Amino acid sequence: MKKLFAMLLAMAMMVSLFACSNDKPDPTKEGSEPPASQGTEESAKPEESSAPSEAPAAPAENPDDIPDTMTSSDNKYQVAFITDVGQLKDKSFNQGTFDGVKLYAAANNKSYKYYQPANGDQATDDDRYDAMKFAVEGGAEVVVCAGFMQTAALSRAAAEFPDVPFIFIDGSPIDGCDNVAAIAFAEHQSGYLAGYAVVKEGYEKLGFSGGGGGTNPACCRFGYGFVQGANDAAKELGKTVDINYSWLYGASFSASTDLQTMINGWYNNGTEIVFACGGSMFQSIVAAAAANDGAVVGVDVDQSAQSDTVVTSAMKGLSASVQWAVAKVYDDSFSDIGGKGTSLGAKDDAVGLPTATWSLENYSVEEYEAQLADMASGKLVVDSMETEADFAKLTTTAWSNVKLSVIE
Amino acid sequence: MTFLIQQTLLYAVPLMIVALAGVFAERSGIINLALEGIMIFGAFVGVLFVNLMQGAALFHDAYAAKNWLVLQGLELLAMLAAAVMGAVFSLLLSFASVNLKADQTIGGTALNLMAPALVLFLIRIIANQNTLGMADGSDAASWFMIKKSTFGIDRKTDLGFLGETFINKVYLATYVCILLFIVLSVLLYKTRFGLRLRSCGENPQAADSLGINVYKMRYAGTTISGALAGMGGFVYALTTANCASTGDVAGFGFLALAVMIFGNWKPLNIAGAALLFGLFKCVAASYASIDINGDGIFMLQEIGVSSHVYRMLPYVITLVVLAFTSQKSRAPKAEGIPYDKGQR
Repeated sequence: MKKLFAMLLAMAMMVSLFACSNDKPDPTKEGSEPPASQGTEESAKPEESSAPSEAPAAPAENPDDIPDTMTSSDNKYQVAFITDVGQLKDKSFNQGTFDGVKLYAAANNKSYKYYQPANGDQATDDDRYDAMKFAVEGGAEVVVCAGFMQTAALSRAAAEFPDVPFIFIDGSPIDGCDNVAAIAFAEHQSGYLAGYAVVKEGYEKLGFSGGGGGTNPACCRFGYGFVQGANDAAKELGKTVDINYSWLYGASFSASTDLQTMINGWYNNGTEIVFACGGSMFQSIVAAAAANDGAVVGVDVDQSAQSDTVVTSAMKGLSASVQWAVAKVYDDSFSDIGGKGTSLGAKDDAVGLPTATWSLENYSVEEYEAQLADMASGKLVVDSMETEADFAKLTTTAWSNVKLSVIE
Repeated sequence: MTFLIQQTLLYAVPLMIVALAGVFAERSGIINLALEGIMIFGAFVGVLFVNLMQGAALFHDAYAAKNWLVLQGLELLAMLAAAVMGAVFSLLLSFASVNLKADQTIGGTALNLMAPALVLFLIRIIANQNTLGMADGSDAASWFMIKKSTFGIDRKTDLGFLGETFINKVYLATYVCILLFIVLSVLLYKTRFGLRLRSCGENPQAADSLGINVYKMRYAGTTISGALAGMGGFVYALTTANCASTGDVAGFGFLALAVMIFGNWKPLNIAGAALLFGLFKCVAASYASIDINGDGIFMLQEIGVSSHVYRMLPYVITLVVLAFTSQKSRAPKAEGIPYDKGQR
């Protein structure tokens, strides 16, 4: 009897040992996907010539129906995806980008695999570099890297593997690396549309809770645009709106009790709607919103399916642009985007609010579309933040119709 | 003020119940360093239970029909599941330290190392990611939180201070834990079982000479401890983490150990210590929106103290109070010493 227990104990410990190593790529895991056919990569190339800066026609398939992991017959994975901090299935940035990878791969019969840098939220540049190296050694023909934080690791990996094209979502071009295609979005436009819409809808006490601790350009642009949109809408309506603006507890983009408590406090003091600008942070903000009957603005992708509290989402076309860029690799036109930065905005149909799940009542889809068209044609200009020096613009600007309280 | 009390309770209740878990183990003579690990495991089991049950027709329909009684029942069942599995998990510790007479500190540490890894491993298998939460499109508050609408009262109705604080926006789990805390404290101090349990932590040889089975008592102590810690883990996840399990409870298990020592192994002191810590934790996270006297001025923000100071407060206060109280603190005499019948 004692021996049996001792053995059980020992086995339990063994299990915990295995658990530690489960972040490593493990090709032995069985996937439900049939193996990608070998040797057909060449024949797939000519079909891929979508118009530049256009969202490619999305295949009819729902990305959620494509499994996240697949097994290829030769253990090579052609399209690799390196996640940002936070989890893969964050229902936001990582997942939206990975959806693009999956959709492209499924439509074009490529094998794909995601790599999560070790150590989760505390991933270092070395961890990210290791993940990229794994990807290249795993046979990657193109590596999609998500998130501005990968800059240092990517400059090292791109220099070491000059023949592998890297697609850098939310990043800026890396000097001397022609194999890196940086794709950034005009988040300020997306944020503007959301801020404008919610104030037009009638919300007067707004909140913004962003990830990255105020140093992530994408989140900074979202927030800056959000305030501009709210300001313009308030000016048109002739009123003043309050905005609580904070980067607290969001540095790692993950949900936390502290964040939930802080947002609870906001709602409790009258805040009606909070822009949840960061992957898994969404969970904490939604929890606080649901407890206080508040509302939430989602980010990156349409998040309305995740909670009844989400009234709209400031989206950017992650999935579409990944498919567009990966297609460039396979139709030999990667040199068009390699080595420089591509910025996608309203004119490329890469930002916007979700019209299919529209829930606003006082602000209509038609008004929104008219505004989006103005933005695309250049009639409506939203100020952006390009460099770190610009981040201060938020507080140095004198807002005419917004009472901004920055909580730090 | 209402907000401050509610948030303080959310932080304090898991701490309190887990610290009591520590008391039960240590009073029986076993150092339960594994509180953190058991909490993590309990949180996982409870969240998994909720996640699975959400799909069941009974609860799915109850949510759609706003049948709150059934949903509160689900919450209680999940707490029970977490408690049972927490108790089972703690058997590893009891077995190692009672039957095998192993070093209890090391046994507890082993469980602390094992739990997050095991839980993450299982979550990866179940959900293919690092977090297990509720099913899509739902959150803990809309399923389990007791609000005015639960009783059919309009949102705008004012229930007065007591009503707003203790009936609106609360979780049943909070009150169940407080009730359990009281019942178990009475059990420990006013019953024959409690006396025997405590005697095993003070002088097991004497207890044995009077016919008390020390091994059984120590098993009972750690099992109750495991059940409470598992439940506390789930309550923590439910009330402060949107019912999500990530293989982490933000160090609440270790904090509970500190609270236990802080409270001198006595339930009443522990409750006070947990409330004190919870209060400052709440102030740290939301100082900018705390309106103490209801005049619309957020004093803590207005006085211009750096936010870092507020965030240090819970830990600074703990250090200061420990420095003053630790001289009087007295741990159970026989804790940490494996019971040896032959030793006199």
